[in-house]
Amino acid sequence: MIDQSYLRRFLLPALLLAAVYACALAAIVQYAFRTFVPGSLEVGPPTLHNLARLVDPLYARVFGDSLLIGLYTAAATLLVGYPLAYALVRTPSRALRSALFVVAITPLFTGEIVRTYAWLNVLGANGFINRILLWSGLIGQPLELMFTTLGVCIALVHFSLPVMVMILAAALAHVDPRYERAAATLGAGPLRRFALITLPLSMPGVVSGFVTIFAWTLSAFATPQLIGGGRVTMISNLVYQLGFASFNFPFAAALSLAAILLTVLLLALLRWSQARVDRMAVHA
Amino acid sequence: MRKSVTAAALAAVLAVGSLQAARAETLLVSSWGGSWQEMIAKTIGKKFTETTGAKVEFVTGGTIDRLNKAKLAAGDPETDITLTTSHVGWLYQSSGLFETLDYARIPNAAKIFPEARISPGHVGVWSYVYTIGYRKDLLPEGLTFDSWEDLWSPKMKGLLGLPDFDPSHIIAVSAILSGADPQHWEKGQDKLLALKPSIKAFYTNDASSQQMMSSGETPVQILLSGNAFYQMGQGVDLALVIPKEGAVIGIDAIGIMKGTKKSELAYKFIDAAFDPEVQAEIASFKKLGPMVEGAPVDPAIARLPGVFTTAEQWKEQAIVIDHKLRAEKLGEWKQWFTEHMIAQ
Repeated sequence: MIDQSYLRRFLLPALLLAAVYACALAAIVQYAFRTFVPGSLEVGPPTLHNLARLVDPLYARVFGDSLLIGLYTAAATLLVGYPLAYALVRTPSRALRSALFVVAITPLFTGEIVRTYAWLNVLGANGFINRILLWSGLIGQPLELMFTTLGVCIALVHFSLPVMVMILAAALAHVDPRYERAAATLGAGPLRRFALITLPLSMPGVVSGFVTIFAWTLSAFATPQLIGGGRVTMISNLVYQLGFASFNFPFAAALSLAAILLTVLLLALLRWSQARVDRMAVHA
Repeated sequence: MRKSVTAAALAAVLAVGSLQAARAETLLVSSWGGSWQEMIAKTIGKKFTETTGAKVEFVTGGTIDRLNKAKLAAGDPETDITLTTSHVGWLYQSSGLFETLDYARIPNAAKIFPEARISPGHVGVWSYVYTIGYRKDLLPEGLTFDSWEDLWSPKMKGLLGLPDFDPSHIIAVSAILSGADPQHWEKGQDKLLALKPSIKAFYTNDASSQQMMSSGETPVQILLSGNAFYQMGQGVDLALVIPKEGAVIGIDAIGIMKGTKKSELAYKFIDAAFDPEVQAEIASFKKLGPMVEGAPVDPAIARLPGVFTTAEQWKEQAIVIDHKLRAEKLGEWKQWFTEHMIAQ
């Protein structure tokens, strides 16, 4: 039996970081239960008012909108990312694989703000998409892409795509191509092979990628802030508005707390669904 | 041998002493970074160093980040001086973070405009306006902005951009147009709601204001005068107007941090800020309004809309929202604005 007690030392940095995060979280929690005092940095006596306000239709709607944008983005990223990940794993040419890999992960090398500003130039009334569509005669008036949920989702898909592709590629790499070749020799066409073999066996990656992007998108800030133009508001934008524009730190903390709890719930859902899919994949 | 050792020790003591003296003669200033820091260093900082021989070091950050840091360091401040927006300065003041200013120790403040005296602990050092700016090439025919009322014109449908971080300007204007004042802003709520058809989007910061204006997404904005001047310099076909009711004034202010051990130097820094020549340099650097009457501002700068250089201009063209009221009401205003204007 090898003594691995020395490995515990490697946990120390993680434990220290966890302690720092726990302190920050504790500060947020205590703010969430304090009264907002207008015109002051000080907070007032304990209250449940901030939590009660979370059920206000306006704030509940922002949570609902954030969940919907997360769902749209995760679904669209999956649809765009799956073929790219499949090509990345199955392309026989090493050069082409490398090229696809670079294309897939390049967005990670530019910051979120830079990428979002680039999208402002693409989605605007005089942006790239509208100019092309107007020039081609497909539309007579510019499409409304800026300050819309569609525009925000398009930019978020671009932002999320590299992560989705990497998760899917890892899952697809574990699907043995011999299963598909065996099915082909038995007469299964490409669509049938994909539907009955590749897709079910890659489901752990699909579920993992979908939930990761969904949870990631829930905390999106710069993209909805800049492309939403105040017309599309997500949870982080609301927290920013309340904390940094109104100085209402208690309510901003209550919203943050609710968002954290929602994320924890989603991660629990991820573990649960992942376990189910893994069992299905084993039985498949 | 003994002599040389003694001389070396003496030299070392002197070196350490002079180093400590140099360190003691460095004033720490909290300000915004980027071009703001550059402007402060090249105008106030330069004059301060010429006068006192002391250096200036900056601790930079966003308005709210610096406020939070100052609160955490209360009593043992990280910096000696803070420059911030006037209504945020009230949060410093009400939290006991500023020293009470002794104007007898700021000779150059003798000629400051009355509007500069914001609180016992902070004093306005330059001004700007939030007013109507528009793209001349994208404005519908017949639309002009002689009055703020013109923002409610049917021709304005879907053209207007507003800041989402601070609704004070349009709330104050709506209250005034409704026969009230910012204190009784509720009387302007119906007016505000009637503005919704005009609004296309809300901008988040100066950069997104510029992007939305230059791309034509929101060809009319309520915007910071400095942003408008910057875009004009970049070739954007932009005009800035002061409506007949006036433009909404913004003032950035300066205060001495309570607990500083360099109070004397801090007062000299503030005095340098109010030197008429320095005020004129500030006006030229960022096209800001001086807070000292009689500052020799370049006539070309003084002619710009929103650069107020005389008491008459302050009286006739400025809408001043009481800074303390603004600090106290901003949360309430913002909440109402978010619930009824942005998220509806």
